[in-house]
Amino acid sequence: MILNQSMVAADAFEKHLINRRRKKHWGLKAAGFTLMLTSMVDMFSMLVVFLLQTFSSSPEILVTKGVELPDSITPSVVKEAPVLAISRDGNLYLDQQLVGPTKDVAKKPNELLKKLNVIKKNWAKSHTTPFTGEINLQADRDIKSTVVAQIMGILTSSQFQSIELAVVGHR
Amino acid sequence: MRKKTGLGQKKELDAQLNLTPFIDLLSTCVCFLLITAVWIEIGTVEVKQSHGTSAAQEKKESYDLDLVFKDPTEMRLNLKKNGKRVKSFKVKDESFEGMLSQLNQTITGQVLTFKKKTIEIATATVTPRSTVDYGSLISTLDVLRKNKIVNIGVLTARGN
Repeated sequence: MILNQSMVAADAFEKHLINRRRKKHWGLKAAGFTLMLTSMVDMFSMLVVFLLQTFSSSPEILVTKGVELPDSITPSVVKEAPVLAISRDGNLYLDQQLVGPTKDVAKKPNELLKKLNVIKKNWAKSHTTPFTGEINLQADRDIKSTVVAQIMGILTSSQFQSIELAVVGHR
Repeated sequence: MRKKTGLGQKKELDAQLNLTPFIDLLSTCVCFLLITAVWIEIGTVEVKQSHGTSAAQEKKESYDLDLVFKDPTEMRLNLKKNGKRVKSFKVKDESFEGMLSQLNQTITGQVLTFKKKTIEIATATVTPRSTVDYGSLISTLDVLRKNKIVNIGVLTARGN
């Protein structure tokens, strides 16, 4: 803000600032401090327009640590559903909670099936509509596709038939 | 700037904008939008598992497509009607990217216009291999989705 140096034609706030400066630096050379308001407002306006354009109101899912999602050129909108994640270190997570090593779960899926049944029961309690079978599956891009296919097979057997494979969108 | 009116009264034409609340509002907007900004767009690729599920019941009497990975650079496409194979295509290239390009050309040129007729692919199933990573599988699904084949299933590979 450019302050008037004279008390004439200054409003109350400017007068206060001038007086304060005079008292503080009495006898000293006044250090000039100018803030270019026009540029600042321009910058703020541009920032607001840019951020409003990139604003997204669609649901977001948390990407599990240790999972680097693959890229896709045909992504769909994310749906709100439980998240099953296969991390690079070979562990399987359901809603950010460790289920166990993926290899072991693929061989003995009892614990995973139990947790999936709990999700189904909770769905039935909170919804009047039939179970949609939607689940988000996050898997690291470098893991074997057969491992993902095995986990998808377990999900299918547990009535989770609509599997949303999480990807990083590049349109 | 002041301008004299016909009646001789002076009327203020310029409106003064009170900058302080304006900057306050802009700052608040910038902070809120920066906090809620999404820098990485997470999307999904929908897969409907067609083995014994409702997806199978929705299947129309039209062609199905099986994609079987041999290795990351080779794939076999089986075009089926009512469960019976009617045509098989081999897609191979030196690189995975080249193979995807070949796959796209095969689907567009030979599968979707089978016997010079435009056909509809009701379901497509992909059988992966352990030598194929998950990122490559997603790229393959991308090619199918790009050609408007949306009912896609991923089978559990029997052999490695």
